[in-house]
Amino acid sequence: MDAVAPKPQDYKSDLKPVWCPGCGDFSVLAAITRALAELRLPHKDVALVSGIGCSSRLPAYTSLYGFHAVHGRALPVASGLKLARPELTVLAVGGDGDGFSIGGNHFVHGCRRNVDMTYIIMDNSVYGMTKGQASPTTAADWTGSKLTPEGPGLSPFRPLEMALSAGATFISRAFSGDPLEVTRQICAAIEHKGFSFVHVLSPCVTYRPEQKGWREVVHADFTEPYSDRREAFLRLLDDDGFTTGILYKSQTPPFQPTPKSVEPVATLGDQFAI
Amino acid sequence: MQRTSVSIALTGSGGAGVMTAGQMLLDAAAEAGYYGLMGRTLGPQIRGGESAALLRVATRPVQGLDDGHDVLLAFDWGNIERFSAELPLIPGGIVIADPRNGAVPEVMRRDHHRIVEVPMQDLAKAIPGGRVNMVGLGLIAELIGLDHHYLLDRLAKQLAKKGEEALAASKAGLDAGAEAAAGITGLEPLAPPHPRETERWSITGNDAAGLGAIQGGARFCAAYPITPATDILEWLAPNLPRVGGALVQCEDELASINMIIGSSFGGVPSVTATSGPGLALMMESLGLAVASETPIVVINVQRGGPSTGIPTKSEQVDLNIAVNGLHGDAPHVVTAPLSIGDCLFATQWSVHLAEAMQTAVIVLSDQSIGQSRAIIDKPAEIAFIGKRLVPETIEAPYRRYAITADGVSPMALPGQEGGAHTADGLEHNEFGNPSTQIDHHQSQLDKRLRKVVGYDYGDHWAMIEGDEDASIAVVTWGSAAEPCREAVQRARAQGFKVRLIAARLIHPIPLDKMGKALEGISQVVVVEQNHGGQYYRHLRAHLDLPGKVTAFHRPGPFSLRPREILQHILGQ
Amino acid sequence: METVEEFIAHAIALEEDSAVRFDDMADALDVHQNHEVTDLFRKMAHYSRLHLAEARKLGEGMTLPDLKPWEFKWPNAEPPETPDQDATHYLMTPHHALVMALDSEKRAQVYYAGLADGSDNARIRELAAEFAEEESEHVALLEAMLAKYPAPPADWDEDMDPPVAVD
Repeated sequence: MDAVAPKPQDYKSDLKPVWCPGCGDFSVLAAITRALAELRLPHKDVALVSGIGCSSRLPAYTSLYGFHAVHGRALPVASGLKLARPELTVLAVGGDGDGFSIGGNHFVHGCRRNVDMTYIIMDNSVYGMTKGQASPTTAADWTGSKLTPEGPGLSPFRPLEMALSAGATFISRAFSGDPLEVTRQICAAIEHKGFSFVHVLSPCVTYRPEQKGWREVVHADFTEPYSDRREAFLRLLDDDGFTTGILYKSQTPPFQPTPKSVEPVATLGDQFAI
Repeated sequence: MQRTSVSIALTGSGGAGVMTAGQMLLDAAAEAGYYGLMGRTLGPQIRGGESAALLRVATRPVQGLDDGHDVLLAFDWGNIERFSAELPLIPGGIVIADPRNGAVPEVMRRDHHRIVEVPMQDLAKAIPGGRVNMVGLGLIAELIGLDHHYLLDRLAKQLAKKGEEALAASKAGLDAGAEAAAGITGLEPLAPPHPRETERWSITGNDAAGLGAIQGGARFCAAYPITPATDILEWLAPNLPRVGGALVQCEDELASINMIIGSSFGGVPSVTATSGPGLALMMESLGLAVASETPIVVINVQRGGPSTGIPTKSEQVDLNIAVNGLHGDAPHVVTAPLSIGDCLFATQWSVHLAEAMQTAVIVLSDQSIGQSRAIIDKPAEIAFIGKRLVPETIEAPYRRYAITADGVSPMALPGQEGGAHTADGLEHNEFGNPSTQIDHHQSQLDKRLRKVVGYDYGDHWAMIEGDEDASIAVVTWGSAAEPCREAVQRARAQGFKVRLIAARLIHPIPLDKMGKALEGISQVVVVEQNHGGQYYRHLRAHLDLPGKVTAFHRPGPFSLRPREILQHILGQ
Repeated sequence: METVEEFIAHAIALEEDSAVRFDDMADALDVHQNHEVTDLFRKMAHYSRLHLAEARKLGEGMTLPDLKPWEFKWPNAEPPETPDQDATHYLMTPHHALVMALDSEKRAQVYYAGLADGSDNARIRELAAEFAEEESEHVALLEAMLAKYPAPPADWDEDMDPPVAVD
């Protein structure tokens, strides 16, 4: 252990977020830095990967190695990094549009692949960077966007159920208004061996100001993580989308190809010799 | 008189064992000391479709098919009308048919070939456990003068697991075929092979590309299966772990390209392989690799397009998208292997280029070289000088995208103290911080362009052959190089002064080198296999070609042959 | 809460969290060109840090418990003096900022007053009373400042321009 414990502030960069004042993502950024300090992870050994969207701007606001990739592809970039450099701590971050819509396929297969990394989704049920369109987690009757004046008309995506079905081995939900709980979950997620998914309800004060009311509706009723999928599924059937806590945690060995031996490259040509 | 090259086509429907027979013939010829190659043309069926093995055996190195086949042996005529156009015979060529399959179809008769009927099925049936492809193989070997014992050696190796009975049956089949060949005349036997001075390899273009990637330093591959690139992945999957690397099968091409961007960001040279539709899907993230300056290599094995096109057959059709498919001003590199064997060198070089310039490189191989096997001299071991520039010491604050003279900025890797930065597809300043400022955009665009156009590609950019005092230049690229090479040799034999310029570096065109290569030229012929003349237009967009310029191009799936190229050259 | 060490650990965390949050909010307002409120938030962060230094000084020589962030015992989700993240707005006025700050100080005052009344540990009661007294002073100070910044008109958050598409 270091002589001097790192401070959360040490994990922040000098760059100031462009997020709207009041945005829940500030608290998630603070929780990430706090979790890293808590776990005493050296800056140089942590990488933060994101896609596109408000929350995907997060890596540049840290003093870590970061990759701000293209829309929807945070998980593949993060997976490639972790698979190639298993000794690093890898976190992917982003929003509901990035992760569940354009990146939905990677979300499913990221959960399946169970690479040892953490995926934090800041969910505000809206596309903030393109002026407030409906996202996969938006209610069917939300009429706040010019693009879907009658409401999106689709039943909202249920991230935790998806994650559980697809094979994530750590699933939790937190509310950005409770950043200490976000911190606790991120710490647990990072320490978990396998793909850990932290769903953070993170209000958009600009396009969904009513989400400030989430403070009143969240309830910390995922008390002890299930290790049994059946029980976790049954519990989720009663979830109103605002239950917080760690839902599920299972011990499944992470996916990590390991080379068996290292031969000189020159020997590979032998198979072609006549 | 003895011939120095013979071309054979074996055709038949699934189950006939055409590919196995062809492969054994090539292996045996290689064992005997010949060079040669085997291409293939396949129907769309997973099993049971029509197929043809296209072989050429020669005393000298050859990596392209000849104008036509000297012999076509048909185990049956299933769907022959669909692909007879891909099986041209030379005038007076021999068609060996089995009378049990009925009359030789009209489509195979019209060019006055010599039809020879051999009851191959009956001969096979007479042998307990006999197989018709062994009869055909024995016949062809005898016909071209390939000593039987080479085939027997191959058989023994191949059938070791199946036991003595299977071996005896196959041997009997070969003998029966050889006997049947006795009555066929008119094909001069192949001259004896030259003694083998160096080790030789039997390798497909796709395997060679895989090996090239590893020799170039690639240790990570993420990919999604697609015809005709899958062979590369199947080769890399067991071979990467042998050198400490890994291959991961992804959910789609978007995942593939982004995963290798992630692994390369981690410092591990990385590749993926795909074909046209997959390349189209990868375009956005190729731009990310360019903007974030993350080296990656995409081996694109071209097939007939557009859309799903003709997945099993070849065309040089992805030059346009490879060069121009990226949005924004996105300087990157496009290369192309010039032959089956060159898939190794071109891919190795491409990994080197990507690493040295910290950019994206697209390798344009194609089905005709990727899925063909050639007997080649063992490639010389090449070690390129220069690799990814990683800072040894880092001054704070670290400038990931520092403006440098050659445009290449030292790239810190995760784990390196003081090098933390956010790689970004957003335009950024030297530190990697997002920026929309005019000067940052201009200077970063400039540096990314400078890296790629200012790089010294050396002599590898093209294969240049022919006359010093040539007036005609045949300018070509990728897999069209071998038939062009043969056409140029023939034109020169007829007294024309011709030079071949076969480009391995497609983009950026090294203008000074190309200009120098074209010195003294008054006629330029641009040759390629596609409908639109993609390379021709690319060249014309970037430089003034000297003198009279013509383009010779046609689509696949019938691969370009020397004679048609020669006719075009001479017609000018 | 049973020990003085525990109490001081809480006091430190309370001020530190408040300082960090006010700084973060100052940055956010700064990015949105609201310099008046930026300055106010910076001031609040500064005061929190002064108090933080005092709390730290009190703890010198003691072995404070090594609590994880979520192991602290706060009456609500966050430490009482930490202003609510979602109470900020890019067009907020000094009036709003002072109301926010006042709320924070009041919550802190209530928190300490509760410990001063209810703790079983006499030393904690004594320290908490001192801290509550200090927070009361801050409350008074902020109330005085607030008097100089009356509530803005109801349309203070009206923006005639629409939001901008960014990505």
